[in-house]
This record gives sequence, structure tokens and C-alpha cells, in this order.
Amino acid sequence: MNSPFLIEARKAIENLQLQELLDKNADTREQRRVSSLRQLPDEAKLRRRAKTIRRETISNLADHLEKFTARLSENGIRVHRASDAEQARRIVVEIAKQHGAKLVAKSKSMLTEEIGLNEALASAGIRAVETDLGEYIVQLRGEPPAHILTPALHLTKEQVAETLSDKLGEEIPPDVAEINRTARGRLREVFFNAQIGLTGVNFGVAETGTLCLVTNEGNGRMVTCLPPVHIAIMGIERLVPTMEDLAVMLRLLPRSATGQKITNYVSLINSPRRDTEPDGAEERHVILVDNGRGALLGTSLEESLDCIRCGACLNACPVFREAGGHSYGSVYSGPIGSVLSPALFGMSEYGHLAKASTLCGACLDACPVGIDIPSMLLRVRAATPSIDPYVERGLKTYAWLARAPGRFRLAQRLAALATRFLPTRAGWITSLPGPMAEWTSFRDFPAFAARPLRTRLHNMRLDVQPRSPEIEPPDETHPLPETDRDDSKVDDFVLELEELGGEVIRCSENEVVDRVVGKLYVLGASRVLAWGPVEPILFTLLQRLEEEFHVTLPELPVGAGRAELLAEYDQAEVGITGSLAAFAETGTVVLSTASRRSLLPSMLPAVHLVIVREKDIYPNMEAWLEAGGAHYVANSSSVTFISGPSRTADIEMSLTIGVHGPSQVIAVVIE
Amino acid sequence: MRVQLLATCIVDSLFPEVGEAAIELLVSAGARPVFPARQTCCGQPLLNAGFPAEARALALHTIDTFSDEAPVVVPSGSCTEMIRHRYPELLANDSRARGQARALAERTYELSEFLIDQLKIADLAAPQPRFIGYFPSCHLLRGLGVDRQPLELLEAIPGGSVKRLEPECCGFGGLFSVDHAPVSEEMLRRTIRQIKETGAELVVGCDASCLMQIEGGLRRAGSSVRCSHLSQALTGQEPGLR
Repeated sequence: MNSPFLIEARKAIENLQLQELLDKNADTREQRRVSSLRQLPDEAKLRRRAKTIRRETISNLADHLEKFTARLSENGIRVHRASDAEQARRIVVEIAKQHGAKLVAKSKSMLTEEIGLNEALASAGIRAVETDLGEYIVQLRGEPPAHILTPALHLTKEQVAETLSDKLGEEIPPDVAEINRTARGRLREVFFNAQIGLTGVNFGVAETGTLCLVTNEGNGRMVTCLPPVHIAIMGIERLVPTMEDLAVMLRLLPRSATGQKITNYVSLINSPRRDTEPDGAEERHVILVDNGRGALLGTSLEESLDCIRCGACLNACPVFREAGGHSYGSVYSGPIGSVLSPALFGMSEYGHLAKASTLCGACLDACPVGIDIPSMLLRVRAATPSIDPYVERGLKTYAWLARAPGRFRLAQRLAALATRFLPTRAGWITSLPGPMAEWTSFRDFPAFAARPLRTRLHNMRLDVQPRSPEIEPPDETHPLPETDRDDSKVDDFVLELEELGGEVIRCSENEVVDRVVGKLYVLGASRVLAWGPVEPILFTLLQRLEEEFHVTLPELPVGAGRAELLAEYDQAEVGITGSLAAFAETGTVVLSTASRRSLLPSMLPAVHLVIVREKDIYPNMEAWLEAGGAHYVANSSSVTFISGPSRTADIEMSLTIGVHGPSQVIAVVIE
Repeated sequence: MRVQLLATCIVDSLFPEVGEAAIELLVSAGARPVFPARQTCCGQPLLNAGFPAEARALALHTIDTFSDEAPVVVPSGSCTEMIRHRYPELLANDSRARGQARALAERTYELSEFLIDQLKIADLAAPQPRFIGYFPSCHLLRGLGVDRQPLELLEAIPGGSVKRLEPECCGFGGLFSVDHAPVSEEMLRRTIRQIKETGAELVVGCDASCLMQIEGGLRRAGSSVRCSHLSQALTGQEPGLR
């Protein structure tokens, strides 16, 4: 009898175009994952640490949740608990209704898929628009995502162009850049006009009550900043105890997911907009959703809650590669989905997924937090009733035979006898009866040995001359001395940012103004969006810029009336900001919202020019935290890590630079 | 050194030549292999199919059969993995068998692992003048972390040359090969494509079950390439599992 998975997998296998896309996904993503992890100086150690963090968090989840909830409240974020999907949907709809919201801008969240939120909003008369490019496309098509990270994995650019042309009523050519441009334009209206921004959460930091979101396109930043109300919805398990733990996860998650050292944007959100801040959501809600998770604590499937949703196991899985995401019939597909779906949504409906695996272990190998997926698949199998009574009887008979060597020997003899009546070619059977016919539909099967091993042993030639063992000295290799990373941190920062497609200008303090003005002329800029004079260098710079350019220091009104202003700000070609710090390992600049630092100059214009001081460059996030970085995180409603221009690879894995965020990032590094 | 050969149900019933070759290898390495006659099946097919109670009964039978203190050598990565990692978990709540399971797990070795890591002998091979593609089977590679051992043995073959194939599941997976046959077929096709691209004249691995899938597919596809278990390749048997 065919499982629902197999019925769908068959269709996927026959779809050659889909097969090509799945192959591309598997090859590209897996190769990038492996090579980016190898570049870490201490991959194995880091992964062990990540596993320890996740195990500890889940083992003491109630404590961490309590702390997290308390911190969120202290930070001015409203906390809601939802025990199931229905309750979670109701909470979101209620908040939306309170604000009279008609339009909700969403960034990708698998949890909202899990609880069917878009449908609930729609039936309450609220339009929810997905703003992640891939998710936007599948939403227009009325399909579920095909992969937790790459929702439109199953579509070619031709199909995407056709969908957009059809749904948007304009002719769009099958060109990835053109598709991207169209979506960008359409979605800007959504960002500017939405009353509510709705996101998932990648990690909640328990000790600080911080929400961490990672995106590449930049839509996550816009959704959490531009609409006046932000609702973040998260599974209760998505916690890390401390900022340092978060730093570990942030080194592993993007590498495992897409092979990036870091995602283009990492947002650390602490609170609603503060009095001194020119923009940001004025009201923030967090909805902590259980929906079956709490019931897994203390069970043999508890470890599935360790998952950080990187998707590495999907990309590494040879079965996913053939069957594709939709065959799993659940929001969570692939190896971890074959555990999570039955664990969260019911063994009887989803248990069969656990059999869609050869237990090859590629998923465990790929998992950055070391979840033993194969062992859990075995546990799900044990808890799932067999859908084929014929096979079940066969296996139980085999077990009965193998319990007694006499019976086993007899069965071997009978099998050898029976196979004599089957068609063979060169000693291998070409056609088997019953359920075993599936084997010979594309493979030959060896004939049972007329004389099994156990009956041959008295004839064995046991007279081969024994040799004495030779013991070789162990191969001694000396580890290379660790290079002093500190000296080269500026060069590393430059190199990494350039590798991401960013540009770097290195100059002395005195040269900054001239270099920036020169750059603006080269770019042909006339309108500039900038931070106010919050740093001395910006003060000098602004004085000069205001002579020659149209400079705006953006500030959004509280409550309504944002859309027109945002549309106006969006006309600026260049945004200029300072930075709090920078990370050499990933080419990252760190921006905060403290003291009148607007989020908009780094978000809306096509070019983001950021001023970095050499002394503020740290090797990585851990080093920055050690030097007191956490203090800055707590001091503003949000801190953003920006690593190069915004990007997407949602269509046919082809990289497009410049989605919702800037397409050009220029760092002016001051010696 | 006395060693107990756990031949595995597949080798015993379908590929006795693999067992014979394994015995020959162990003897030439200076060990004295014995074959405990009550052995049948380690129970892995049952555990994998979702019948832990039946698997537990076979685990107990196997523990009983191999109660001697001599090391147990298995010409299969997959069955070794079952004993080493699954038995202790399967019998964790059995206060009597728990300790025995752990002890058996500790003295059970996959064949190449035993030859290289325990006996420290690499040059056992008879001449094999063929270009060999070494197939790293999943449970051997990922479950046991055994990879260099079979390669060391193969590289010592006089007159041969070896290339390690990229680790990619062949699609066997026990019952999976039948109840998910269409997916299994695609995975097998990928493995066979890789073998062709490598130009291997002989595919060698440490798991007769995976090799049965691969050779079955090669034969059906009309290919002249055959599979041999490591022990067969090292003792100079003609290519082919049978």
C-alpha cells in the first residue's frame, strides 16, 4: 500500500524540471555549507558547544521561558501565551482588530504556516502579504512553501514570471533581476502602508529579552520597523539563555543554512521605539506558541525541539533531493520534518514520514546542533502502526525464524529451493513475486545460496600462513600555530565585505569629508538620507553635505501618517550612517537606534554609506560582547548587523543583489 | 588471537563467499576465527521497520550466541553499528542484559576496522589489477566513522588503483528499498551514474547489503561493472558478490 508521501514522491520524480531544481539545491547548498563550516577555526568545538546550549535550554525550558517573559515585559514588549494554533490565531486577529488594521506586512515565518495564520487573517478581512521574495511568489500561487528556507525552490524563473504577470496584471519577462525589481516595487507599498508588521523569531535571548531575526533580503528589518505595530510570533523552544549563546548560534545558523558566514541582516530587537528614537515600531507583541511542543518535553522525541530551522538536513538528505518538500504534506519537511510533523501534529497522520528515510545519517552529520534524527526516526517508526499488514506479518515471521537457528537454517534451505523456480540471469533473479516484485522492477536480486556460509565452514582452507603484525609508528602531525587575528582584523574586515559585494574606502579622519562628497558625485546622487550629527565626524560631514545636496534627517511621526513620508524618504539615492562596531570575520557593520539614530538611511536608499572606525573593528560578535557590546544592545530598541548589500537566491538559486534593502554598501574606514 | 565471526544474515544466506573471504583474511592476519553456529540475524531489519520488541529478542539471542569474550568481527558496517549503538539503547531498561549489551558493543568491530586498528595490518591483499571505486557505505562512514581503514587496505593491493566515491546513499535502506522503491530507484541511479563517471572497473565496499543493491542495479542496466565486498577484493576473488 502506498503512503501519502510515496504517492506525492512519485509525481515529484516524474517531474524532470523539479528534479533539476532539487539537484541544484542539494549540490549548491550542501557544498557551500561544508566549505563555509570548514573555514571556522574550531568547527567541531563550536558545534559541540551549540549542541550543549540547545540541550541545556530545552532541558530547563520552563525556567528560561519565565526569565524571557519577565525581561520582555520589563522591556515594554507585550507577551502572550498560546497553547495551540487556534489560540495563537485569535490573539493575532484581536491585536489587528484593535488597531483597525487592514493590511499586514509579513516576513517569512514557518510558525505562521504551521498555525494557518494567513487564512485566519483573511477570514477576518485582513490582508496579510508575504514580503520574502520566495514566500511572496508561493503566496500569489496559493501554494505552501517547498522548503523552509527556499519557499519557491520548486519553481523555474519562467513559472515565476508567469505567476507574477498573471496575478499582477503586467507583463513580466522571465528574468530574475526583472522579477526582483517588480516584487521590490510592489512590496514597498505594502511596507509603507501596513498597520502591522508580523514576523517570526529566530532566537529569543532569555537573559535580556531580546528578539533576534535574520534575513538576507532586508524585509525583516522593514517589517519590524516601518509599521507602527510589530507582532513577533515564536515557538516556545526558540530560546537561547544568553547573548554569548546567541553569538554561537549566529555563527552556525547561516553557514548551515546557505553557506553564508552571516546573513545580510541580523536584527536584535529589545523594545518598542523609545522617546529619543526617530523611528521603529511603537508597540511590540510577542506570542509564545506551544502547539504540541511542551508535550514533547521529557519524551524520547524531546531532542527535536533543539532544531534551529537551518534546513541543512533537508539539503543533505538524499530522499528530500528526490521527493522535494511538498511530498511530506507538512510545513516541516525533510528529515527533521519527518520527526517534528508526527511529534507535533499526530503519529497516525504523519508517522509514515519516518519511513521515508534510509537512515543514512546525512542529516545528523549536517545538523549544526547535533540532533540525532536517525534515532528519532526509529522511535517514530516504532510508534507508527504499519500500513501494510502483509509486510508486518512477513517481518514478524522472519523474527520468529531468526530466534531459533534450526528454524533459520530450514528457512534458508526453503528459500534456496524456492528461488530455483524463479527466472534468473547469471545467477541473479530477474523477477520476484509478491511485495518483493518492487525489488526486481529495476534491480536483479541474488539467488539464495544453495549452501549458506554455516554449512561450508568445515571445507574452509584454514592453512594460509599467518603473518606477524607490523606496528607502524603513528603519523605525527603538528598543528599550525594560531595566527594572531587581531593584527589583521582591518584587512579581514575589508576582504570579507568586498567578498560580499561591498565596497571599502580607507582614509584618514581629515580625508573623510572629501572622499564622501567625491563618492556622492560619482554616484550621481542628489538626495541623501542621513543620521543627525550624533557623532563629531557626522557633524562636520553634514555641514558640508548640506551645501551641495538635498539632505534629510528622517523622523517618523508616532501613529498614523507614515506612508507619504516614507514614500518621500524613499526618493533618496544614498543613505549615510555611522556605526557602533564592525566584525572582521563576517564583514559586518553594527548599527544601533540609540539617541536619534534612524534605521531608515541604512534601509531605504539603494546605496548605504557607512562610516567605520578601525578601533571599532572586532574579530567577531563574541569578541565584541566580551568588550561590553551587550551594553549597547540593551541601550537601544534595536541593534542591526549589516553584512553587505541585500540579496536573495530564492529563484533557481541565482543570486540577486539588492532586494528590499540597499544594493550597494560602501564602508568608509577611518584609520 | 581468537575472534568470533558474526557473518550477518545477508552474507550467510546470500553471499557465503564474502564470509569465506573474511575468514581467509583474518587467518592470514594471524587471527583464529571461529563461527558461533547459533548466529542468525542481529535484528536490525526489525528495528528499522519499527518493531523494537522483535529486534530486542534477536539482540538477546545474538548477545547469548556471542557470550565468549573473544572480539567479534563483522563484515558489515551496518550490523556493527546496530550492535555498537543500537543494542545498548534497545536494552537500556533490561537490568540483566544491559551490561552484556555494552560489553558486546565494546568488543565488536567491523572487519576493516579490526584489521587496521586492532591487528594493525594493512598489506594483506592479493593482486587485483583493476581500477577500484571504493563505496563508503553510510552506517560505516557516519555511524562508525570508519573511512581510512578500508582505503588503507585497498591501497595496499598490488597492481590496483583506488578512488573513493563521494559518499551518497545508494538507496538500499532495508525495507525502504521495497516500500519506497521509486525513491530507492532514483538514489540507485545516482550512485550508478557516479560509478560510471569515475570509470571504476570494480566497486568495493564493506556492506554486502548496499553492494547487493548496487550490483543488482548494475546487472539490470547491462553494465559489466561488478561489486565485491572488501574481503573478496583483498583475497583476489573474481569480481562480483557471488
